[in-house]
Amino acid sequence: MAMTRREAFKNLAKGSLPILAAGCVSTALPEVAHAEEEKQAPKGALGLLYDATKCVGCKSCMVKCSEANDLKPDTRTDGIHQAPPALNYFTKNIIKLYRTADGSDHSYFKQQCMHCIDPGCMNACMFGGLRKDEETGVVWWLGSKCVGCRYCEIACPFHIPAFQWDGFNPKIVKCELCREPIAKGLRTQPGCTEVCPTQAVIYGKREDLLKEAKSRIAANPGRYYQQKVYGEHDGGGTQVLYLSRVGFDKIGLPELSEESIPSGLKYSHAVYKWLALPIALYAGMVAFAGKNFKAHSHHLVEDQKKTGLRPQL
Amino acid sequence: MAKDAIEKETIAQSLKNAGYSRRDFLQLCTTIVATAPMGLALTEKATPAEVAKSVAKAKKPSVVWLHFQDCTGCSESLLRTSKPDIADLILNIISLDYHETLMAACGQQAEDALNSAITENAGKFVLVVEGSIPTKDQGIYMKLGGKPALDVLKEVGSKAAAIIAIGSCASWGGVPSADPNPTGATGVDSIITDKPIVNIPGCPPNPYSLLGVVLEYAVMGKLPALDDLKRPKFAFDRLIHDHCPRRAHFDAGRFAGQFGDAGHREGYCLFKLGCKGPVTHAGCSTRHFNEVVDAWPIGIGAPCFGCTEKSVGFRIPAFDRVDVHTATPPDTYAPISGAVGKFGAVAAGLVGLAAGAIGGSTWAASQRLASSEETIAEEAKSTVGGK
Amino acid sequence: MTRWERSVPVYGVPVLTRGFWALLALIVVGLVLTAIREVVGIGGVMSGMSDPFAWGLWKTFNVMVLTGLGSGGFAVGIAAWVFNNKKLHPVMRVALLTSCLAYWTGLCMLGVDVGRPWNFYWVVMPWTWNLHSPLLEIAVCMSLYASVPLFLENLPPLFEYIIYEYPQWRGIAEFCEKAMAKVFPFIVALAYILPIMHQSSLGALMILGGNRVHTLWQTPFLPLIYVWAAAFLGYNCVVLCVLLAKLAWKRDVDPVVMLELNKLTVWIVYSWTGFRFLDILVRGKILHAFTDGYYSLLFWTETALILGSAYVLSTEKGKKLSTMFLAHALCALGGMIYRFSPTTLAFHAKDGATYFPSAVELIISLSFVSIAVLGYLVAVKKLAILPGTNAEWLKMAEYEEQVKPGIQLTGYAPVEH
Repeated sequence: MAMTRREAFKNLAKGSLPILAAGCVSTALPEVAHAEEEKQAPKGALGLLYDATKCVGCKSCMVKCSEANDLKPDTRTDGIHQAPPALNYFTKNIIKLYRTADGSDHSYFKQQCMHCIDPGCMNACMFGGLRKDEETGVVWWLGSKCVGCRYCEIACPFHIPAFQWDGFNPKIVKCELCREPIAKGLRTQPGCTEVCPTQAVIYGKREDLLKEAKSRIAANPGRYYQQKVYGEHDGGGTQVLYLSRVGFDKIGLPELSEESIPSGLKYSHAVYKWLALPIALYAGMVAFAGKNFKAHSHHLVEDQKKTGLRPQL
Repeated sequence: MAKDAIEKETIAQSLKNAGYSRRDFLQLCTTIVATAPMGLALTEKATPAEVAKSVAKAKKPSVVWLHFQDCTGCSESLLRTSKPDIADLILNIISLDYHETLMAACGQQAEDALNSAITENAGKFVLVVEGSIPTKDQGIYMKLGGKPALDVLKEVGSKAAAIIAIGSCASWGGVPSADPNPTGATGVDSIITDKPIVNIPGCPPNPYSLLGVVLEYAVMGKLPALDDLKRPKFAFDRLIHDHCPRRAHFDAGRFAGQFGDAGHREGYCLFKLGCKGPVTHAGCSTRHFNEVVDAWPIGIGAPCFGCTEKSVGFRIPAFDRVDVHTATPPDTYAPISGAVGKFGAVAAGLVGLAAGAIGGSTWAASQRLASSEETIAEEAKSTVGGK
Repeated sequence: MTRWERSVPVYGVPVLTRGFWALLALIVVGLVLTAIREVVGIGGVMSGMSDPFAWGLWKTFNVMVLTGLGSGGFAVGIAAWVFNNKKLHPVMRVALLTSCLAYWTGLCMLGVDVGRPWNFYWVVMPWTWNLHSPLLEIAVCMSLYASVPLFLENLPPLFEYIIYEYPQWRGIAEFCEKAMAKVFPFIVALAYILPIMHQSSLGALMILGGNRVHTLWQTPFLPLIYVWAAAFLGYNCVVLCVLLAKLAWKRDVDPVVMLELNKLTVWIVYSWTGFRFLDILVRGKILHAFTDGYYSLLFWTETALILGSAYVLSTEKGKKLSTMFLAHALCALGGMIYRFSPTTLAFHAKDGATYFPSAVELIISLSFVSIAVLGYLVAVKKLAILPGTNAEWLKMAEYEEQVKPGIQLTGYAPVEH
């Protein structure tokens, strides 16, 4: 059967639309992929500088953190002492010890949320249960939006968010730089920096802390591992900075590129930009499926005439 | 104690008359500053010399000391001080107008002494109560001169300016109030509610706690800051556990397991022997007794039994362990990467079972299908070249 | 020679068999444990999950793996309707049913796995969505897919059932059927685009795992490889269902359709394997396939199972039903392992951290799978799902007319459209 002009135009439109859309998207793809620029820290970004060479492992910061955040100390190991084996839903801050097998070298490591500039956890959270304060850059948890899916735990390269594995209505617990007590006026700096007897961990604006860290490196050549401040660029940059004498990998800080964790999704984001590609594909499939279904329906009617059996959709 | 002159001496005069040197007095004041560096207005930001100056000018306060259901241990504790001889000093810094153990009078003379003391100094004297007061059966279980202790306390207490309940018995009932408390023994503040009361619990308490309170009252005219159990904060704001010299052993996990074992002999922490230090407020860990270093329970290897606390002392069995409410980290560290994850035997069994079942049935199914393979292969051959 | 022409219910077989009761018992146990888990929490005895391995079995196996297996709906559907492969029409209903069951039980499992399921209501408020999150895309897309197009696609057998068994509702059922036929292309196209989107997002999930996912699996193209794997898994599932039906209920097999399914499976697997190797080569990580011990072994196991099975299917031996069955089973196993690896088997969470599911976790997982299996068994016996011939339909009609007098299963004249 010859095609009418109307049908011809209809088919042309149906066929060309997806091709057109695909064409637009594929030319835009590379640009879009690069358009997601590296995120910068907010102007008033606050953070910590932990100098492992100054830490004496007194753990006052752990006690103070529990107190400042109204957390029960984790005494599950022996019922008497606060001895969490790792960060967990009782413990937002922990001092860990790195020691060589023969005991010849050791270093302490204070572990808490790194307050990344482009956090993986925030990117992962479906409904924005983890958010980054626009002024201070502090990454904090909002319970009303949390579904308890634990994707943030998967996405964090530093193994920080801790899920409440026991009990009803579980929380995600992690350091928030004492955001709430500071906001309520109960304190002016986080508990850990307040009690540290050697000022191994200090609080302040990220840019100031970075300057301080760099000046320490300059003033003490050979003292700090690779003359490097961990967190300056690692994982896209973090607001909590580290200085250490022993290798960062030894004390538990992962080796990361300068790209943030979420940047791994840039191609996926490009594909979904404006939902153009999916819509184009959909339109194309509607066109083809429609055409095929029409033909199929004719066959069904023919079959029914022959067999007397009701056709199945 | 003879009746004093109507006009009270100043403390300086009294000490001079008793023949005490300025040096001894300064030593006393130094001890007070050391005992109570905080919480006493008297010693707040003061040097011993300044304290001496203000104390010297104060008038000797009149003190009436009543004994009820007691063992006199609190008085004895007061007397067991020697550098300087505090008993004498106390007797010259305060005007002790009635004290059954120390006074020379007895019988009718004693009763007269009490009556005149409370009448002459009505509204001005400090009443010190040692021992608990029985309240059951109209208080017949302890009588003073034929009168139930309950009535004596009410009568004398109504005329006092302030009441100091010394010792756990007077503070909350102490030993006599231990279950089943057959006499209904209770502390002073359950009976008298309209006078300022200071509780100095302990069995016995440190004598410098009493001295601090009395001097504060004599010199500054008011009682020191008290907590919600009416205990002076300067002496009772800390737990034994938080100032215990054996705390490092606790944190490092070194405990005495049994009396006399190696750990006990090494002087390790007594927590596992039932030490109530973690739940007991008192100053014994820094201020020992009898002015001898380590002359206090834990110091000699006996676990603290919580004598100052109503819910602990004579209530929780001596060797029962208590909970540590303010846990702190021990002398061990979390590793950089600890082992996490458990491998359950039942789970492993289930997985094995499931894998076996699925694998086995898959194989069995394929074998059963083999029986019909002739047909399908033939049919397939016939159609491979076709549609 | 058998040629499938329509779907025919399994007849003459009771629904309440021993297998039915056994599965039901497992389901009940699982649901009781689930209720306990809601109160007691997710950790402890309830599962082997911990902070390093925050995703245990439920999200990764019941959702990520099993919805891959249940991708027949779109994988076979696209071939059948978009590429007009008429040979595949008879197996469409099986494919759709397996998809429906896999997705619905998967979504329920998801609800059990999360800690605060009541907060899921934000999913219907687009202004709260974090558009950067792959998990959000899955949540929205999968929920939409399962509740709209997939659900609608599975209604026709139900309509027919009503038309035959409940004459009082016939009018409504026929009306619904006609309405569906009118918008059919729009529904099915949605039923293809949505799973493409979320099956690929399931892959995107583990991109955020960074270098904790071993480099032989971690790639920016993980979404593409995942959705492509879902495609062949869907075919595996359909073939296995049909062959098991032959075993269990003596259904005849249409060799033309089977060979077509095999051909498509082989084609998908070859292209999938090709792309996967290309990706590894271009990223420069091919040496890891030989030097990384356990990970290399895992990689080659997957490859052997998947590629080896496809190769067998492409040979003459692959035309024997027994070999075909084993090949598809092993290919499915390989594909399922592949989809499971980036989350668990090839996921190095943290030094010293290991994961093994707890007994309770396993039982709950299996019980949700059993819900799907039970649903499948009941559905194929009550509804016209499994492919058959017109002759079989007539036999079935004869049987049913004896058992249910008054029912009319034959002799319908066509209605003008």
